[in-house]
Amino acid sequence: MEVSHSIRERTIAENSLVILLQGLQGEVTTVDLRDESTARGRVVNVDAFMNVLYRDRRGRLSQLADLFITARNVRYVHIPDHVDIMETIQTQLTRIRRVRNFAGDKGGRKEYQKKKK
Amino acid sequence: MFNSLHAGREDREATMVNLKNVSPPSEGIRYNQGEITAVWNGEGLGPGTLYIAETCVSWFDGSGMGFNLKYPSISLHAISRDFNAYPGEHLYVMVNTKLNGNCEKCAEEEDNESTDDDCDADSISPVTEIRFVPSDKATLEPMFSAISECQALHPDPEDSDSDFEGDEYDVEEAEQGQIDLPTFYNFEESLSQLTLEGQATLERLEGMLADSASQKHHCMAVVRPEDTPTGCCNESGAVGVSGQFEDANVDHCLEGVPTYNEHLLVAFPSHSGPTDPKQSQWVEVG
Repeated sequence: MEVSHSIRERTIAENSLVILLQGLQGEVTTVDLRDESTARGRVVNVDAFMNVLYRDRRGRLSQLADLFITARNVRYVHIPDHVDIMETIQTQLTRIRRVRNFAGDKGGRKEYQKKKK
Repeated sequence: MFNSLHAGREDREATMVNLKNVSPPSEGIRYNQGEITAVWNGEGLGPGTLYIAETCVSWFDGSGMGFNLKYPSISLHAISRDFNAYPGEHLYVMVNTKLNGNCEKCAEEEDNESTDDDCDADSISPVTEIRFVPSDKATLEPMFSAISECQALHPDPEDSDSDFEGDEYDVEEAEQGQIDLPTFYNFEESLSQLTLEGQATLERLEGMLADSASQKHHCMAVVRPEDTPTGCCNESGAVGVSGQFEDANVDHCLEGVPTYNEHLLVAFPSHSGPTDPKQSQWVEVG
């Protein structure tokens, strides 16, 4: 489960609950779409679903190998019962900070010039 | 699944899809593939060529007639290997807008289908289903990935959650103990690390770098409040790419005069998401 390479994305994740969804990578979840279809499958990435059994809004079943749902079409994500939400969030935050500390530790790229205060 | 709605329409009436003369996108093409049959809401359009570019997904047949799909209109895309849905493995794309005269058909279907009393906009929103059926099935995965990557370049501008523009706190300063390391920091705190000028410069540079990866010259970018970035540089695809910065509408102008008189050496290793293939660049502004 990798943390995003982008400072911008890490900042967004650290400040919103999408960080919880990112911690669901590898879990099988159900997603309710805006158009009232549902999709169920294993989360590869918050931006992509994989191996989904897709039930469309007309109630018909369709098997899709890879499915990518754009964020605005997601209404609900069903968090699996066995997932501890607070623990998942804390773990993700730790991962983000670990990446950040690497960047400052005389390693990694310096993305911003040091600002004079 | 979706085709059962169109069962019985084997008679080939005149196409209800209004195709228009389409030329392939000029740059930012991530993938292109010939011998791809397009099926529009169950109606086959014959073989053609598919271009997956950073600005749009474009398909056109042998006579140059086809259609463009903008990424914000693509609700989802998928690889379908389900022969109950369609007799052939294909790339399935759901588009959330009425397109090309099909709206009449869509509205009809919606009326026939809806049995609930729920009248919210979502349940009657028009949907266009397009299938791209390749002759070479091995192309399905790269096509899927290409659309996924380009989709990531077009985040939803209405999404207020993504309205963050500030950078992180200065890691080097934190390392040297010059600032307190907060356990949590919010948007205002991170933004306040930059001066007002710094913030604007950051936005401007991000927007500039997004477009100038292949440019040999440096453009000065001017931030404007208007919506449409007009470019007098030879930059196509500026609309699609700069859309990812919701708050910085950047205008690229060859004769732009530097607004700010600072000298900055900045590196932006990635400014458009994890899938951005552009390398880091050192840009001198001044």
